[in-house]
Amino acid sequence: MKAYLLKRILSLIPVLLVVAVVVFFLIHLTPGDPAAVMLGPDAAPEDVERLREELGLNLPLHEQFFSWFFGLFKGDLGWSIYMNKPVLDAFLERLEPTLSLAMLAQGIAILIAIPFGILAAIKRGTLTDQLFMVLAMLGVSVPSFLLGLLLMLGFGVKLQWFPVAGYNPLSTGIWNHLQYMILPALSLGTIQAALIARMTRSSMLDILTMNYIKTAHSKGLKERVVIYKHALRNAFIPILTVIGQTFGTLVAGAVVTETVFNLPGVGQLVVQSIVRRDYAVIQGTVLLITVSYVLINLIVDLLYGVIDPRVRLNRK
Amino acid sequence: MEIKKIGIFFLVVIVIAGIIGCSADTTDSSPSEQKGSDTTEPKETSGGTLNVAYLAQPQTLDPHITTANATRDPARLIFETLVTLNENYEVTPQLAESYEISEDGTTITFKLREGIKFHNGTEMTAEDVVASMTKWGESAIAKANLGEHEWVAKDKYTVELHFEGPSSVIMYVLADIDQFAAIMPKEVIDSAGPSGITEYIGTGPFKLENWAHDQHMLFTRFEEYQPVDEPASGLAGKKEALVDEIYFHFVPDESTRVNGLLSGEYDFAHMLPYDAIPQLENVPNIEIDIWPFGIQALVFNKKEGLFRDVRMRQAVNYALNKEEILTAAFTSPKYFELDPSLFLPEQTDWYTDAGQEYYNQQDLEKAKQLLQEAGYNGEEVIILTSRDYAHHYNSAVATQQQLQEIGINAKLEVYDWATLLERRDQPELWDIFFTGFPTSSTPHQYTFLDTRANWPGWTNNPEFDRLLDEIKAQTSQEEAKALYAELQQLMWEDLPIINIGRNLRVSAYSDKVQGYQEFKGPVFWNVSISE
Repeated sequence: MKAYLLKRILSLIPVLLVVAVVVFFLIHLTPGDPAAVMLGPDAAPEDVERLREELGLNLPLHEQFFSWFFGLFKGDLGWSIYMNKPVLDAFLERLEPTLSLAMLAQGIAILIAIPFGILAAIKRGTLTDQLFMVLAMLGVSVPSFLLGLLLMLGFGVKLQWFPVAGYNPLSTGIWNHLQYMILPALSLGTIQAALIARMTRSSMLDILTMNYIKTAHSKGLKERVVIYKHALRNAFIPILTVIGQTFGTLVAGAVVTETVFNLPGVGQLVVQSIVRRDYAVIQGTVLLITVSYVLINLIVDLLYGVIDPRVRLNRK
Repeated sequence: MEIKKIGIFFLVVIVIAGIIGCSADTTDSSPSEQKGSDTTEPKETSGGTLNVAYLAQPQTLDPHITTANATRDPARLIFETLVTLNENYEVTPQLAESYEISEDGTTITFKLREGIKFHNGTEMTAEDVVASMTKWGESAIAKANLGEHEWVAKDKYTVELHFEGPSSVIMYVLADIDQFAAIMPKEVIDSAGPSGITEYIGTGPFKLENWAHDQHMLFTRFEEYQPVDEPASGLAGKKEALVDEIYFHFVPDESTRVNGLLSGEYDFAHMLPYDAIPQLENVPNIEIDIWPFGIQALVFNKKEGLFRDVRMRQAVNYALNKEEILTAAFTSPKYFELDPSLFLPEQTDWYTDAGQEYYNQQDLEKAKQLLQEAGYNGEEVIILTSRDYAHHYNSAVATQQQLQEIGINAKLEVYDWATLLERRDQPELWDIFFTGFPTSSTPHQYTFLDTRANWPGWTNNPEFDRLLDEIKAQTSQEEAKALYAELQQLMWEDLPIINIGRNLRVSAYSDKVQGYQEFKGPVFWNVSISE
């Protein structure tokens, strides 16, 4: 197990190395520079040039790369010229909204999806099943920004149950925090719910036709025991894979929801930094997102073993 | 199973409530009505919080270094200038008690108001003014308009500005609010880094309490603020912080700004999308403010390519139907004005309609003839544009179509704004791009008029420089204005840019907000909010 863990962690190194190099050069070779953006469209060219000089943007690209790259080994992700602070600080400040959004969205998704998926599988072919699957199809098809706008109009503008935009950190109290998070989490969680519900249904259907389920039934076990104890546990591996993968995308891809609801999360940070060409922030953030994505996948892999001992045996 | 039923019930309630909420008619109810505020007259009270939804976060709050409106609008709450503009765009003292121009026109002596405090508690003295003005003097706008100059502290409350010769524009530039000449404490200036100051300390009616990046700026009332004892007018006169605090929320998504205003989360929403206005007009308790922003301009590349030839530029001018372009960009005649001038009619010191005979005179035959004379042979014309600004993009699309109608092989190249800014610096990459210029208070601030500014587009007719210098050298505004009329006429003949027309922008606010006015951006002092 330890060896497996070590191998997985070591395999991170080449991934991060490639990401670091690609992101650095991709961004620096993209036209547009922070000095011009900072000084506004009417700025005189000599002012832009002077600022470029002062910010070190005129240094040869390889020099800029090596100074950034070796900084990484000291835990220095660079300095945001725009926010005037270390990239790591900027990232950590933005982590709470994104993590909170992703976890709430995932929580909502799981709470809705798994019972509905199981119910659809048990009632396969009935009206309930068809209704759930139509809803799931809708959930996957409606873009989260559209759902977000609808939720904002309904619950924010009309009913005024929740604020339409903005953010209150968790430190201001759970309710203060939650009232800003519920609508974005619902809009983001719906797509997840639809994905997980479909996976739960199909995975459960596979298992329910197996012989050991029939045996369990013939033993006279209660339906609930058969479904939850025997079927669900075995159906859970593919469901967990979807949950894990989609959680990764939630963390990295909440950009649209964060923009619509004006949440100061990591997604917005990346987008804004691209707009203003704050190179160090883009590089550092992408690197950190990659790490988190890989780590989530690692956790999911390890969880397979917890749920299904056969996976652990295979690894040996 | 009980839990599941409760869960399903809860979900159904939420979905139904949401659907009811979304389908309700927007015209017959509004947030304020739901709160019952329509039964009570809003009353002006001091205190409270003003929540402003603003479209973009500034790159910096240092007004010395940038021309961006996103800096100007919040920075004016913190910083003040020696002189400023009143509602007629006339220069009026602010931090200076008075000023005097020497007879030979080479020195301006500013007498500072005594007892003016910075937000850090120290008193503003001549030393701070000299440090601030010397830093501001490095800006392109100062260099272009002041030339060689020097600021000198004569005593604690007297400052002199020495410059080369008489100038009709220096006072306007000092008073203007674009890249403005903010006064800051000397120690702040001394510790300024490459991208400007890092501490934002001024003398204004509000001080910066905190700046949560990409979220908000919080400004609180500066208790020791000393207003000028004159009636408020434009940016001049009495300024009072009537609310306790102002939140500038950065809300890039325009529909979120509209929705936040409708829900009552924001009291004021800046720069709203034109297509949201009919909806807002139907909501009682929302006031709509339509205000002049500046000109929408088509800029020619005059350094390389086809448009070095003035006949090509004139052909384009004859090819364009300005009204159609402005409609494409700003949706309705309510939001633009067809006018050949770079100035507003209220700016009586400069306003003229010179060049009118070339403005919006679409004549396709003449255009084609000019193309032929210039020897145009179907070469590709690249129009740079960006979807980051819908009005620039829509102007470019409409222009492309109109140019194609007279046989110009126009092609759009669409980039994000940062890329566009870089590409437009390279003359070999483009022929035309669109941008906007906010209304300035002197012709000299329009960078495209001056060949020496080296601004992309590279105006190449030295006659502009001669006229600009002559205007500057005048001591009488009347003579300066007459020369400006000549310059505007030349602008329409030589066409370094095509001024498509004046564009108006829209903001909206709750009727709880009292005393709001717009003057080259939103003004939030003397604004109160009722309970």
